[in-house]
Amino acid sequence: MSLAEWFQWLEQTPASTAIAESIWLFPLLEGSHILALPLSVGMIVMFDLHLLGLTLAGSRAATVMTEMLRWSKIGFAVMFITGGLLLMCHAGRAYGNPFFRAKMIFLLVLGINAAVYQVVFFPKMPQWTAGRTPAGARFCAVLSLIVWIGVIVCGRTMAYQF
Amino acid sequence: MQIIVWIRDSQYGMPIAQSVHLVGLTLLLATVLVLNLRLAGGALKDSPLDWLAQQLRPWMIGGLAVVVLSGALIFVGTPEKYLASNPFRVKMLTLFLAILFQYGMLRRFAAPDSAPRSRAVRLMVAALSLTLWFTVGWAGRAIAFIP
Repeated sequence: MSLAEWFQWLEQTPASTAIAESIWLFPLLEGSHILALPLSVGMIVMFDLHLLGLTLAGSRAATVMTEMLRWSKIGFAVMFITGGLLLMCHAGRAYGNPFFRAKMIFLLVLGINAAVYQVVFFPKMPQWTAGRTPAGARFCAVLSLIVWIGVIVCGRTMAYQF
Repeated sequence: MQIIVWIRDSQYGMPIAQSVHLVGLTLLLATVLVLNLRLAGGALKDSPLDWLAQQLRPWMIGGLAVVVLSGALIFVGTPEKYLASNPFRVKMLTLFLAILFQYGMLRRFAAPDSAPRSRAVRLMVAALSLTLWFTVGWAGRAIAFIP
């Protein structure tokens, strides 16, 4: 079974049609997916802004990272569950949609960016002087901010095409 | 006011305006979350609340400006649609209450000379603030589903 066929099949499973046709479940999933943005992406944004010296100036980056990521993880758990269920309902139509594809590529880029940060910069964070972020870590923060905006734009736009 | 017509009538006008609205929401509610989590004792416990409020203020006001401006541009395209919508009325009312409550909370809890408060009071204030702000969001989403 090709990926396209698998997406088609997913959209037609009894669970998918049940969610898509439910008067309250679909809006509830969609609303939760959108309103988990501040907790998931928002906390990452606050950390990125801190790395760029634009907020929580004087705090230790390692502390800000731990405190923000703890809440962000809960937000992303909600995102992946609600996003997965929403995708099930629209899988066949989402497969060929350019905005859905761009969103998935953006998420992959963000995953790689986070992994690079974790490996290259995270171990050295305790040695940083407060407010002095190395250029490489600043680059990761700028990339993260720009690509997360891309994810939000693509996610909102794809919903208009189903 | 070509931008209003562009948002209302062009293929990508509304998706882009809505996206900007969501980026503003993410920023605004992220600052609200950090502030209330701190108040409830759930994050950044080592940072004083008045200092935190002052650090977050530009982003809170910036996020609010983005949601209000993008929201206003969406609204004026089809005002009759929104004025007839019950969720929209709830949204405007709770937005007003949320801003008022947030302002009062910052003045009483996050001023440099604020008296220390009990954990129960701080938890209740944080819960009420977050409930108000997220009701604004839910009511906004409900405009698309409920008349």
